[in-house]
Amino acid sequence: MKQHTYFLYSLLILPAILFTTVQASAQDDLEKAIPIIKTTHEKVSATFKSTKLINGHTNETIYKNEMDFKVDHRFGDIAGSNGGLRQFFGLDQSTDVRIGFDYGLSDRVTVGLARAKGATAVQQLYELSIKYRLLEQTTDDHIPFAITFFGSNTIAAIHASDDPTSATAYRNLGDRTNYVSQLIIARKMSPGFSFSLTPSYLHRNFTTYRDQNELFALGAGARAKLSKRVALVIDYFLPFRNTADKAYLEKVNNVKFYNPLGVGLEMETGGHIFHLNFTNAAAIEEMQFIPSTTSSWLKGQYRWGFSISRRFSFNHTKKQVETGT
Amino acid sequence: MKNLIVFLMLVLSTSTINAQQIRTSSSATITFFSSTIVEDIEAKSASATSAFDVVSGNLLFRVKNTSFQFPKKLMQEHFNENYMESDTYPLSDFKGKISPLPDFTKDGTYTATATGNLNIHGVTKTYTAPVTFTITGGNITAKTVFRVRISDHGIKVPALVFKNIAEFVEVRVVTTYLSKNN
Repeated sequence: MKQHTYFLYSLLILPAILFTTVQASAQDDLEKAIPIIKTTHEKVSATFKSTKLINGHTNETIYKNEMDFKVDHRFGDIAGSNGGLRQFFGLDQSTDVRIGFDYGLSDRVTVGLARAKGATAVQQLYELSIKYRLLEQTTDDHIPFAITFFGSNTIAAIHASDDPTSATAYRNLGDRTNYVSQLIIARKMSPGFSFSLTPSYLHRNFTTYRDQNELFALGAGARAKLSKRVALVIDYFLPFRNTADKAYLEKVNNVKFYNPLGVGLEMETGGHIFHLNFTNAAAIEEMQFIPSTTSSWLKGQYRWGFSISRRFSFNHTKKQVETGT
Repeated sequence: MKNLIVFLMLVLSTSTINAQQIRTSSSATITFFSSTIVEDIEAKSASATSAFDVVSGNLLFRVKNTSFQFPKKLMQEHFNENYMESDTYPLSDFKGKISPLPDFTKDGTYTATATGNLNIHGVTKTYTAPVTFTITGGNITAKTVFRVRISDHGIKVPALVFKNIAEFVEVRVVTTYLSKNN
């Protein structure tokens, strides 16, 4: 009889315990019941903040119906034989200036028109460009990296030279035309760090005697966030030159070719992006700074540069009409 | 003694039924407005999720911050990158309770109050907001409007865009919990 009571007692306890558990876990029940948020290959946004790092392009395009107005400036050598206090650390000179407008035809396609001074003998440049996002990285690594194509066509408007060995001894419009094709392969490694590799192909229809019409190069770049709105940016290009032609040109022109390297700070506020950078490349356009950089960091031939980008959106927010519920 | 066991069994089974009284939605809409002289900003997510216990009044809302759609995509990028920091805080949620509970078996419109904790940008704050329930044929539609001071949730607006983003953002939530019989 006593055992029987004990059994009944335990039977009583059990549901009582269960009941309190259910009461205590009311919020847990909701947690269990709430539908799981589905994410299907969500695209990684803002691998880079700007369409350019310092010299080279990033995989970023601008959004549909946006316009990006961009001004790039490169000053003269900070140190070395052409720099120093006499030239006010390069601020008395500007080796290149570029003013560009980009427009987003869609979220994946951006077209651009730009005018640059040009840093070599090839000057008065007009650039038409297209950027197309071929692949976009996804947060679940379904696509682990982004690939963007960049293509540009740059025409030099400078008066043709009479010297047939000159880089500007143009005979027709075709001679004035230069093409750049790049595949920008980028990955956002973490919210604060992204990097890119840029295999590039340049074709210049007309060059100085024994300079290469065709040139392959590999670019690399990275961005590391220092704070929410300030990042350190760096990029580098390695041109694969023909050794014999390179030696000839260096001897004849008494110059040396160097690989362009840029480091800078990127600051972002609303629709503005400011870059303050230092680079040995004097030129801004791809068809010039990749094959024709003849200034060296080690000789003090690096310069201060900046770029200002302002993005305008033509997608208007509709004015709020309803109020309250 | 036998009666007591039966009684407890009944209590237990009632609480099991309670668990089945949870209504859910995976398409709740959350809209927010920031209005200043310079600019009006509106963003909407139609994929917020919710669970609502119609017996206890307990309520849970959850939304993925990257699901908010802005008319200007650059704004959306800034929202996630600079303000919400969606990489670090991917979700915003609300855990609260509705009172008084309307009779969900009768069609009609009822008002009640939701009180609970709202977590945005990793910062939790207690809110109380009026809720309007509309009940038609077992389906429950709930609507609410409340204001969030963005600085309360540790979201800083830089001086340069201070005039473009309002101090208070108006949040509207509309959700429909379909009847289990549907």
